[in-house]
Amino acid sequence: MGNVTRRNFLIGGSALAVSAWMVPPVFAAPKTIKIGGLYPLTGNLASTGLDCRRGAEMAVEIINGKYDLNLPLAKTEGLPDLGGAKIEMVWADTKGEPKNGQAEAERVVTQDGVVGVIGAYQSSVTKTASQATERLRVPYVCSDSSSPTLTERGLKYFFRVSPHDGIFAHDQFNFLKDLERIKKQKVQSVALLYENTEFGSNVGKQEQKYAQEYGYKVVEDISYTANATDVTSEVGRLIKTNPDVLMHASYITDAILFTKTFKEMGFNPKGMLTMAGYIEPGYLPAVKADGDYIIVRSTFALDLAKSKPLVGKVNELFKKKYGIDMSENAARSFTAPFVFADAINRAKTTEPEAVVKALHDTNIPGDQVIYPWKGVKFDPQSNQNIYATGTLVQIQNQQYVTVWPFESAAKDLVWPFPAWKSRK
Amino acid sequence: MGGDLLQQVVNSFLIGSVYALVAIGLTLIWGVMNIVNFAHGEFLMIGMFIAFWSYTLLHLDPILSIPICAAVLFILGAASYRFIVSKVMTGPILAQLVVTFGLSIFLANLAVLLWTPDFRLIEKPLLNGTWTLGNVQLSIPKFVASLGSVLVSAGILLFLRKTKTGKAILAVEMNRESALLVGINTERINALSFGVGAALVGIAGAFLSMYYYIYPQVGGLFGLISFCIVALGGFGSIEGAFIAGILVGFVQTLGGYYFDPAYKYALVFLVYLITVWIRPQGLLGW
Amino acid sequence: MRTLTRRQISVFAIVLILLILYPLFVRGSFPLHIMIMVFLFAMMGVAWNIMGGYAGMFSFGQAAFFGIGAYTSSYLLVTYHVSPWIGLLAGGLLAALAAAVIGIPCSNLRGHYFAIASIAFAEIVRIHFNNWKLVGAAEGLTLPILNQSLRNFEFHSSKVPYYYILLGFLIFSLLICSWVSTSRMGFYFRAIKESHDLAKVVGINFVRYRLAAIMISAFLTAIAGTFYAQYILYLDPESVLILPISIQVVLVAMLGGAGSIMGPVIGAAILLPISEGTRVWLGFKGTGIDMIVYGTLIMLISAYHPQGVWGLFSRIGERAPSAAHAAEQSIASAGAGTRDATSASPADRGGEGRSES
Repeated sequence: MGNVTRRNFLIGGSALAVSAWMVPPVFAAPKTIKIGGLYPLTGNLASTGLDCRRGAEMAVEIINGKYDLNLPLAKTEGLPDLGGAKIEMVWADTKGEPKNGQAEAERVVTQDGVVGVIGAYQSSVTKTASQATERLRVPYVCSDSSSPTLTERGLKYFFRVSPHDGIFAHDQFNFLKDLERIKKQKVQSVALLYENTEFGSNVGKQEQKYAQEYGYKVVEDISYTANATDVTSEVGRLIKTNPDVLMHASYITDAILFTKTFKEMGFNPKGMLTMAGYIEPGYLPAVKADGDYIIVRSTFALDLAKSKPLVGKVNELFKKKYGIDMSENAARSFTAPFVFADAINRAKTTEPEAVVKALHDTNIPGDQVIYPWKGVKFDPQSNQNIYATGTLVQIQNQQYVTVWPFESAAKDLVWPFPAWKSRK
Repeated sequence: MGGDLLQQVVNSFLIGSVYALVAIGLTLIWGVMNIVNFAHGEFLMIGMFIAFWSYTLLHLDPILSIPICAAVLFILGAASYRFIVSKVMTGPILAQLVVTFGLSIFLANLAVLLWTPDFRLIEKPLLNGTWTLGNVQLSIPKFVASLGSVLVSAGILLFLRKTKTGKAILAVEMNRESALLVGINTERINALSFGVGAALVGIAGAFLSMYYYIYPQVGGLFGLISFCIVALGGFGSIEGAFIAGILVGFVQTLGGYYFDPAYKYALVFLVYLITVWIRPQGLLGW
Repeated sequence: MRTLTRRQISVFAIVLILLILYPLFVRGSFPLHIMIMVFLFAMMGVAWNIMGGYAGMFSFGQAAFFGIGAYTSSYLLVTYHVSPWIGLLAGGLLAALAAAVIGIPCSNLRGHYFAIASIAFAEIVRIHFNNWKLVGAAEGLTLPILNQSLRNFEFHSSKVPYYYILLGFLIFSLLICSWVSTSRMGFYFRAIKESHDLAKVVGINFVRYRLAAIMISAFLTAIAGTFYAQYILYLDPESVLILPISIQVVLVAMLGGAGSIMGPVIGAAILLPISEGTRVWLGFKGTGIDMIVYGTLIMLISAYHPQGVWGLFSRIGERAPSAAHAAEQSIASAGAGTRDATSASPADRGGEGRSES
């Protein structure tokens, strides 16, 4: 039984050995500033995670290099007030799970010595990751998670740059009001359709709220599984209740499935206002012309380049590096590194409390962001960017064109939604 | 248009028949060697990818790639048996349950490695569009998939009942020891059955690829539902799997339509549980 | 499972001392996090063993109990400010109750049938919680960040208290498992497992003992759930009620050696660092290689060493020599219910669905 003892030790000790191997962080060379990036790099949302990562990587490249762009710190190499120190991203895979969000946030802070964290796309993962950074007192700048609850928790170290779903839902109803007022198209009933994780159900809730407030009748409220095998029941119910407008919050898989089923079963509301899935890079290549005339909420649109050449220039760079146009996700994740770099530079140190103070003082002007915002400035209570707004884009000829706000639209809105049968 | 009961009944049958084909492959494997192939959903996924790549690289319509899907999956199934599953046949039940889980994790992630997690879609299958028959919208690809599934199911039933090999398979299913006595090579039958079962779900994959999106994890929900269908229909019973498949299609679609779409899969699982409590051997099982 | 030899006990004592000393040697939250995950799944594996390894009911739905435990204590905390410790007991009891409710009709099912029924049950629970507004539906529950204390069951400046609490829970679970295996219940389980007919002749009341096993298993798993909630301070259906959790529990028990007390602990000690480690070192590339390795490992273990690691140094870990013998021979191996599928007759096999009670 001597063997037994040894083996038992080996096994018991292996776990110890594994962990002992993870040495505490070696001090970073004085010329780099480490920032942790948490994304679902494997698993179901891996393609989105990759998208986000690319956006952030592009930003870091611009910050670290010398570029003639009107973006914070682009024209200098690195952070000038810290001796040209460069940003180094430390990537972590959350696999899309909240418990990994916590573990990875802790790991990159305590083991890799990052001074700040960005990410994590999924709101449920951002929730736990930012709780971890809050406990560790490290700043977290999020520019790609949209749950309103993230900035309602009273956290001191968590900042969000991008709009949240409450803003997006509000936009949808403002759009409907504008539609009536300016384009003289009346809408009375809406149907809410949303996938059943945190994202979708939150959107559903927000839309219910605004529907009540603005006086629209909600004729159907359907929650479904994102990876359903078949959605004919759901579409059947929508057809039955015949809403004027459909509001759909989905991921990409269900966006594809529903589009096909809408066409197949002949669902023709006057308009479709959608979120997220429909603006993923994989959506249009999958559905092609069937995506036309669907309206999606957006923070970013390529046609913004007309009024803001910066957008075009950034996209050029992105396209050169990755071979594809910038997507909504990449564009959103693009911002956080800039906000961080700008704050750290002004603070002249990576010390957390100073960085947080500098973040509070953030005031990036509108012409230095690639969105139609007035800029970046955080609300002192919630740490939400007060200038974050969305726009609505419509798919026309398999392109995303900005159609609302009407004043800044690139093209005219097509309304109502042309019936499936009448196309092609 | 399309919002009423008849439409939903038609849709029930459309999805149900594809489920049935998936389940038949599974029940064959189960019946012959008492192994639950938890990697069945991944076999479906591979079938779908084969159809996709045949379409993209060889410009073959999914209907035409059926033989390829069937052949490749047959080999994959038989090889899975020969090199992996056969080793657990003499082992604990737990190992039998778990080994195909390992295979499913392996295959799904191999697909991620080879083909990335991106979603693919076959954009222009030969048979596309929608027929309008009165109040009912009939999706042509779904109809073809459904019809194909029914034909293939009937085909496999004929194969099992009428051919020598098929009868040998049935013999092993009924009583292994007696089959051995009569001189049937049960190991060979096992591999063959695994292969045929995989081929069937591969064909189902080809059908599904005509209208469903394709990605490495697509097998998950389909696989889960197919286990319930097989248990519902009765292990080893082809007819049972077919009927149960259709039944599940109805539960899912009508349940989603009349009750609550959010619960439609819960209803499927509930129906399964209730049936199995009342009649543990399933509807047509022995 | 035989009672442990003196040598084995002393070995365990040494390992226990090492584990107690571990946080003193190793600093850093990630190493502690890994060990906490190891303990968590070890505990759930031990709980699983009680119904799976010993009584032959292979549950692939433990996540349901894990989730019920986590949700119960969290809901009570968030809504009624009930102490998590009381919530822990409440969760355990509720889970045991749920187990009884599902267990009674399922007590006749064995093997594959039971496994699939357990999956169906767990999925129904998950879907329901996902839509149940009372517990936050898909948004889940966010636990309040309270001052750290044992009473509040929350610690912020260090993970060490979590580590020791969970170690305590794990030891408790092991004691329960040991008690089950050496008690009359354990004896009956082995009898049932080894020969249905003999047990029937002797008149053992299957249903009652099976039910007890399921309920104890559920109770312990629910406690693990409460721990998780207090550790992460956030839960939603996707984090506590999903199938991968259930599968991980089975793998841990099987890899370590189902039907042995310490098996799941060893299984967890091996699998969890691999699972966490491959994510950290390989995962960020996004290629899925880590999971390919994982899947391959599972296949290899199942195919070539199904009695798990424990079987390596348990002389009784023999595999069935041949098909014909397996069904009849009483093999007290660490593998649960060794039974050759190929020799099963229809009555047996179909009767995997039903057994005498």
